[in-house]
Amino acid sequence: MAEEGPFTDISGKPISLECQNYTPFCREFTVSSPKVSLLKVMGYTCSVWLLAYAVFFLTENTTVLSSAIMVTLVGMILHIHFVKVDQETLLIIGSLGIQLSSLYASGRESTTFIEMSKIKDIVINEAIYMQSIIYYLCILIKDPSEPDGVASVVPLFQSSKPRLNCLVRVYKSCQEIIAQSR
Amino acid sequence: MKSRRRRGDKQAAASCQPDAHPPAPHSPASLLPSGTARRSSQKKHSICMVSDFFYPNMGGVESHIYQLSQCLLERGHKVVIATHAYGDRRGVRYLTNGLKVYYLPLQVMYNQSTATSCFHSLPLLRCVFVREHITVVHAHSSFSAMAHDALFHAKTMGLNTVFTDHSLFGFADLSSVLTNKLLTVTLCDTNHIVCVSYTSKENTVLRAALNPDIVSVIPNAVDPTDFTPDPGSRDDSKITIVVVSRLVYRKGIDLLGGIIPELCAKHPDLCFLIGGEGPKRIVLEEVREKYQLHDRVRLLGALDHKDVRDVLVQGHIFLNTSLTEAFCMAIVEGACCGLQVVSTRVGGIPEVLPDELVTLCEPTVSSLCAGLESVISRQRSGSVPPPAAIHHQVQNLYTWRNIAERTEKVYDQACQQPVLTLPARLQRLRSHCGAVAGSIFSFMAVINFLFLLFLQWLHPVHLMDAAIDASGPDSCWRKSFKKGKSKDPHPD
Amino acid sequence: MVLKIFFPKCCNTADSGLLVGRWIPGQDSAVVLAVIHYPFIPGQVKKYLTQMRSQTKVDLTVLGSWSMPKDGQEGMDSFLKDLSTIFPHSRWLQLSRESGKRAFTCRVVQENGKPAAKKDGDDNNDDDDDKDKIIFVHYDQRKVMLSQLHPVQEQKGSEEESTELRTMFQTVAQSEPLFFHDMYDEGPLKLTHWQSEGREASIIVELVKQASVPVCIVLTWLLSVWHWLCSFRIFHVWPVQFISSKLSTCVQTGYRADHFQTVFSTRKATTHMEFMRKANIFVSFLVDIALGLLLISWLYRENRISQLANTLVPAADHVAKELQELLEWLMGAPAGLKMNRALDQVLGRFFLYHIHLWISYIRLMSPFIEMILWYVGLTACLGLTFALSVLSDIVALLTFHIYCFYVYGARLYYLKIYGLSSLWRLFRGKKWNVLRQRVDSCSYDLDQLFIGTLLFTILLFLLPTTALYYLVFTLLRLVVVMFQGLIHLSVDFINSFPLFAMGLRLCRPYRVAEGVKFQVLSEEPGTPLHLRMEINPLKFSSVLQCYRTPTYSCYPKDSWVALCKKLFIGELVYPWRQKSTKTD
Repeated sequence: MAEEGPFTDISGKPISLECQNYTPFCREFTVSSPKVSLLKVMGYTCSVWLLAYAVFFLTENTTVLSSAIMVTLVGMILHIHFVKVDQETLLIIGSLGIQLSSLYASGRESTTFIEMSKIKDIVINEAIYMQSIIYYLCILIKDPSEPDGVASVVPLFQSSKPRLNCLVRVYKSCQEIIAQSR
Repeated sequence: MKSRRRRGDKQAAASCQPDAHPPAPHSPASLLPSGTARRSSQKKHSICMVSDFFYPNMGGVESHIYQLSQCLLERGHKVVIATHAYGDRRGVRYLTNGLKVYYLPLQVMYNQSTATSCFHSLPLLRCVFVREHITVVHAHSSFSAMAHDALFHAKTMGLNTVFTDHSLFGFADLSSVLTNKLLTVTLCDTNHIVCVSYTSKENTVLRAALNPDIVSVIPNAVDPTDFTPDPGSRDDSKITIVVVSRLVYRKGIDLLGGIIPELCAKHPDLCFLIGGEGPKRIVLEEVREKYQLHDRVRLLGALDHKDVRDVLVQGHIFLNTSLTEAFCMAIVEGACCGLQVVSTRVGGIPEVLPDELVTLCEPTVSSLCAGLESVISRQRSGSVPPPAAIHHQVQNLYTWRNIAERTEKVYDQACQQPVLTLPARLQRLRSHCGAVAGSIFSFMAVINFLFLLFLQWLHPVHLMDAAIDASGPDSCWRKSFKKGKSKDPHPD
Repeated sequence: MVLKIFFPKCCNTADSGLLVGRWIPGQDSAVVLAVIHYPFIPGQVKKYLTQMRSQTKVDLTVLGSWSMPKDGQEGMDSFLKDLSTIFPHSRWLQLSRESGKRAFTCRVVQENGKPAAKKDGDDNNDDDDDKDKIIFVHYDQRKVMLSQLHPVQEQKGSEEESTELRTMFQTVAQSEPLFFHDMYDEGPLKLTHWQSEGREASIIVELVKQASVPVCIVLTWLLSVWHWLCSFRIFHVWPVQFISSKLSTCVQTGYRADHFQTVFSTRKATTHMEFMRKANIFVSFLVDIALGLLLISWLYRENRISQLANTLVPAADHVAKELQELLEWLMGAPAGLKMNRALDQVLGRFFLYHIHLWISYIRLMSPFIEMILWYVGLTACLGLTFALSVLSDIVALLTFHIYCFYVYGARLYYLKIYGLSSLWRLFRGKKWNVLRQRVDSCSYDLDQLFIGTLLFTILLFLLPTTALYYLVFTLLRLVVVMFQGLIHLSVDFINSFPLFAMGLRLCRPYRVAEGVKFQVLSEEPGTPLHLRMEINPLKFSSVLQCYRTPTYSCYPKDSWVALCKKLFIGELVYPWRQKSTKTD
């Protein structure tokens, strides 16, 4: 059931969208971004070490070198544990809820489940991100005190940031399921 | 707040409709039914209005941009508005009829005007221009740094540019000299310039050293259905003078502070009704306390646009004490509500209303008092025309449809003109703006061009998603309202 | 609508029988709690259910039948189908498991006979359609029963507002008595559900629970004695009260007493939050004492106290000397600045005299310092927080001269700034209107203007001298304030850190649930969707936020900008917060 398309994220890197239909009311969308590139890691490590070596050359202090190694190691661990997201999954189960999970490069997984009774709708929205204007998919959460109001907005695919064509595809199949369960 | 205004907008848009059909002889726009008007302009433009001043800020420029955009949308053009973020109102919003507004997060420096560095707004504005497929950039107000920036960037990107100047400037003091130089630079290669009155045109041509042929005069307009007279709501046992303006120095509030005690001493049945807020409020409060006029001078504070009419109809005389004004919308609104108008004779004000509707005075306390005295005595003797007659006379003078049609012609004309290439632009800057400023700004133009090239490499056009046109061709957005609604995160 | 069935994992392999559980009102979902095995007598089942219903306050019903194919029980299916006529129901679920397959099949029979029959007939035709409308959610009964869903909702009655999952969690938690029925008990009914494994170990827990009651009573009595002592009038005389509110040791004492009152109240904690609060306070109290004892064991070994005393007195002396030199430097031409000579001399002498007083005071104290330290060190057995508070107080006492200098400098500077600002208004023909809280214009006499301008000039030219003294002493004061603030912060941290909740999150993450997460189980075609429900534990940051014990926290009261503004206009700054506001 997997379908691959020529999708990219907003900065032009290729991403893949995998769509799995378990039943007509239960679908899973997985957006995977490319893995950590070895070249980039090497580049950063080399630049930090070269810098450290230059400082060492000037000051003749060996702690500089060891601290540079520590810095690169800790930085890499923090990066793959907290920043780099490999996969983002959206599991939508009709009349039960929507589950968002993101898998970090270190294998850490963070999951949130939102019950269907709290969800008002899923929409594509525009936002200003850094120095450009992008489209993103988001879940509108109902305001319990006010039936027509929106209490908050939960953005989806926050780290992979796919482009509009990919969002539209996810949006359409989500809308099908939401329409069924109403 | 927003919902209230939107309701007002819808009323305004709806009330535009019946206005077109009975052909009124004075207004050239109303001569043509809307169908023919639509046919008359072959080309549909994509217009981006740029200004620092837009809702939720209130004022003449803001309502001008809004009403003009609405009428242009109605005529089938595509219009988006770019302004800076106001508080937590940032991002993309939709107003009535799918009018899209970009509230860009740019730093506000002074008086709601953004800080300018000529470059930092380029990425965001480029993004707006590219994704909306903009053909004409229309900047408003010379006070707005963002408008100047947008003109600068649009020319670098090779788009046609139009500028509307809403205000008059002096020539003498330092800030005017600086602003005038900036204006010379930004306007020297702008395709077309619009001024709101002939005085303003004269002023702008002089300040920016322009060729008068590329400057058009298109006045502001008021919606006459919003300002209808209601003689029943005023108290005829006394005479009420209404002042509605921001309480700032430019509006001559110090003059008002001189007038109030003098007239109140002479006429015990006179009272003042003052709407608006600003730093000069303290002047009026002190006058009120000093002369014990608490029962006769009422300060209403800041007014919503929809409440202005209800305040205006409570009075007999409308007073405007502005020290400088390009085109005074307030006196048209006052006259439209059937009030006697007394105003200072400054700027473009003498052009605005025919002589029988307005009493013009010099901007001094004694002259204004004399003018007011004569109007008061006329009011007492009952020799003034009834409010309904005044309203009838004013209502067809300035309409938004007329303005929109004239603006459309400006766009047609601007699109036919070539956009200068970089070498031509540099030459123009150097020949037109003097050696020093010309060289500096041609250097900036080159930097801007290089920055644009860098951005095109960093964030190429093919990676930007074109904006989905929420209003659609011929505004089909209104027909399939639900689909559009799901796009709006806060559909009120 | 899709029918959701919450099914406990432990019943997966149960023998055939009846499903006991609850229909969640308003939602199209059922919670299965247990399976009653064949053979049973229907009358006894009904009796048992009514008994359970009154115990648990959950409207338990028979949801349907469960069939597990086994050898020699071929005729079960038709028998279980017929059972639907015995038990009253609106819908009857028929779950069955086929040998060799992991998934179940389910059939729903409606109440009134005819549609049910019709539906039964239809079942064969559009089998797929019917099965697709059912979701099985497998849950771990024990974890769901013990977990607490966050954010915590305390009032029980608001079942309509609570969502489906919350209701499901509540249902499982409330039907705890149902699970006491042991599998191996001799009784008329045999049930399958979650079984607690170690009943014997819980005897110790029970004993401790029993013992805790008299202990609590004794401690409460002691506390009341303490309160009675505190209520003596002598403690409410103005200077005593004022000083005790400023000494952080006294504040900490009051705070600890408050804590004890919460923990040892004889009333049982009814709600989850109350229980967690008690547990948190108790655990952090124990840890505090342990740390304090550790400190004592370090401090009272190898004559460390006298070493400390021997360094402390010279240190204080040294500080005073340094200050004296600083003042002498200020009285000359500090950093090449030319100051008003007369004012400079006056201020310098004034402060020098103070330092002289201070040094003689230190000399007077020095023989007793060691003894004082020895006794004061004993407070550490009350906990590390007490030791730290005492340290903070000692620092405050030893730097009292710096505080005095700061106050004099600030007052003087404030007066100057105040005078200058009001004279500047006079200069411009304005005045401050106190009634309206705004600046009015005002016309002054010539004399007033003359005097005002003269005073303004004098004040303006004297300002740099005062400002320099103020600046130097403020910097000194800020160093002390920062040190004290650091101590206060650490005390506050120990007092408020929710150790118990953190431990719970580490060792039993399911106890503090933020929500749930689902996983699609491997699916066989032609069966309904099977999901596994797991508990998503609360994040550490939210645990901290949720269970932090509220304290009289001593963070700086103002933001940095406000603090700078205060420093600029010469208002006094303190490290402690005004005690009236209790913050969470």
